[in-house]
Amino acid sequence: MRVVIAEDAAVLREGLARLLAGHGHKVCAAVADAEALNAAVTEHAPDAVIADIRMPPTHTDEGLRAAVTIRRDFPSTGVLLFSQYIETLYTARLLQAGTGGVGYLLKERVGNVADFISALERVAAGGTALDPEVISQLLRKPDPGLASLTAREREVLALMAEGRSNSGIAGKLVLSEGAVEKHIASIFGKLSLEPEAADNRRVLAVLRYLRA
Amino acid sequence: MNGIGRVAVLLLRAPFTRRAWRDVWFCTAGAITGLAGFAVVVATLVPALALIATAVGAVIGLPLAGTAIGIARRLGGAHRQLLWLATGKRVTAPAAPRAGPGVPGRLGWQRLRDPGGWRAIGYTGAKLPVSVAAGYAAAAAVIGLVDCAYPLAWVAFGNRPAGTRLKPLKALFPVYHGQHWVVRTWPGALTTALLGAVCVLAGLWLARGMTMLDTWLIHSLLGPSRVSELERTRAIAVDDAATALRRIERDLHDGAQVRLAAVALNLGMAREQASDDVLRELLDAAQAEVSGALDDLRRIARGIHPPVLDSGLADALASLAAACPIPVRVRADLPERPPQAIETMAYFCAAELLANAIKHSSANTVDITIYTERFRVLHLQVTDDGIGGANPSRGSGLRGLAQRASTVDGTVRVASPPGGPTTVTVELPMRIRGGGT
Repeated sequence: MRVVIAEDAAVLREGLARLLAGHGHKVCAAVADAEALNAAVTEHAPDAVIADIRMPPTHTDEGLRAAVTIRRDFPSTGVLLFSQYIETLYTARLLQAGTGGVGYLLKERVGNVADFISALERVAAGGTALDPEVISQLLRKPDPGLASLTAREREVLALMAEGRSNSGIAGKLVLSEGAVEKHIASIFGKLSLEPEAADNRRVLAVLRYLRA
Repeated sequence: MNGIGRVAVLLLRAPFTRRAWRDVWFCTAGAITGLAGFAVVVATLVPALALIATAVGAVIGLPLAGTAIGIARRLGGAHRQLLWLATGKRVTAPAAPRAGPGVPGRLGWQRLRDPGGWRAIGYTGAKLPVSVAAGYAAAAAVIGLVDCAYPLAWVAFGNRPAGTRLKPLKALFPVYHGQHWVVRTWPGALTTALLGAVCVLAGLWLARGMTMLDTWLIHSLLGPSRVSELERTRAIAVDDAATALRRIERDLHDGAQVRLAAVALNLGMAREQASDDVLRELLDAAQAEVSGALDDLRRIARGIHPPVLDSGLADALASLAAACPIPVRVRADLPERPPQAIETMAYFCAAELLANAIKHSSANTVDITIYTERFRVLHLQVTDDGIGGANPSRGSGLRGLAQRASTVDGTVRVASPPGGPTTVTVELPMRIRGGGT
């Protein structure tokens, strides 16, 4: 996987580069601001970008804006936002650009290397990776359909929103894949999502979550 | 005896100090500007007041009065400058009146309501007797100095050959005594010099007195008033506090939070290398602590200055609403960004009111409306459909809110009949009184 890193703190930028290199990924560029990020993406067309949200010059939401632009101009490049904060507003803005190929994680999640790398790979492959914190913030919203979900179904939906596959969810919750499928079918039923293309329903269920 | 001697020495030494002659030039310059200024201001203000008195003439009289006040203010600036040049004492100018909107603003209406301007008029009047006395003092000192030179004149021009009488020499004194004092003899020249020295001393000490009096007048009438000074310093304090909090948040973000994230990264890499179960458990425990520490820091930082506020109040409120467990509608109409301190205050007010609505009023939905009125007042209205009955005199939360708003002359109104709905309106100024822009 070819990756571009944009992070203004040198210690994290270099740490990430080392971590990715150690897992056999190629770091094409490691930059410190949004302008350099756009240039690096244009030059390298990477599979994935890891971008801090708050970067010079204004230290507000440069990374987020860059992410939206990159998703629009380089559909094959996944963007993983990497921040000290989870702002629900930022999640919504990020997902407005589309639910695929994006991720939003707290910086400390890099501490679980295997999960972090798999989240990055998911994003690069066009999937989603949302921080459990994003999910728990969104889960506080009431929705009659969502409200009728059981605790287990909520867990499953939360993992779906994180962008995990059925087998990933089964592994995480220590369930059989069959059990996961049953839960998912029940979720679709309770959210009254018509059986069309399965993938589409999955995204719709997650969106319901995020919009609620 | 010793004491009297010391006083005498002090009195007599005055002409040889720099300060005494600086007082003289301050008195001279001050007398000229004071008298001329008085004449100009009176010549403008009196017709203006006469015109205003005729009611119809007010159309011209009011702007003319504004002009007189403007002139007095400018003269005040000149006097402050003189004081600074002569004594090194700096007096800051009172806050300039802010031009109001529309036609009255263009006509200088704000000048008529400018306390600093009226105080400058007061100074122009009070300065008149001071100018006269100061001018007199300066003249006495200079004339006395000339008189002191009479023996020199005698030696240089008069007494040659010895015994000749001096050609009559007229001497000037700053005291009118009916006729001119004419010097013809050597003892006469010496007496003139002695009287001149007395004049110099008297003039210098009077100049000192007038300088001190004028300094006091300038301080009390041309400087900022106590109220405006307090408003100014309060605005600085409010602004400083907001800046400091924002800096603390930024320092946390760029410092401790980055370091802890780097620790998490390194712990993660170490765990990958660890082959020992015990070691892995310890690393996991450390990882959990790092996550906990970052959670704590995030909570603290949010309480200090929510980072999303940097993107503007509308975004910050939207984020607040998004993270809220009940539906919150935010309507924001903010064509102009309020000062940082006001933004922060509005945000925390909204956060507190939202928390109240959820905690105490069992509300199902909350509406937050924020808009600016005539670019002057920031209105924040939080309405919930809950049970109502909120009492600001009982709840410390609402009282605290009102207190916080009052630090910038803001107000909080609560309408909460039993049964609801509850509407809390917070009004904050778009400009902190006494602050810069």
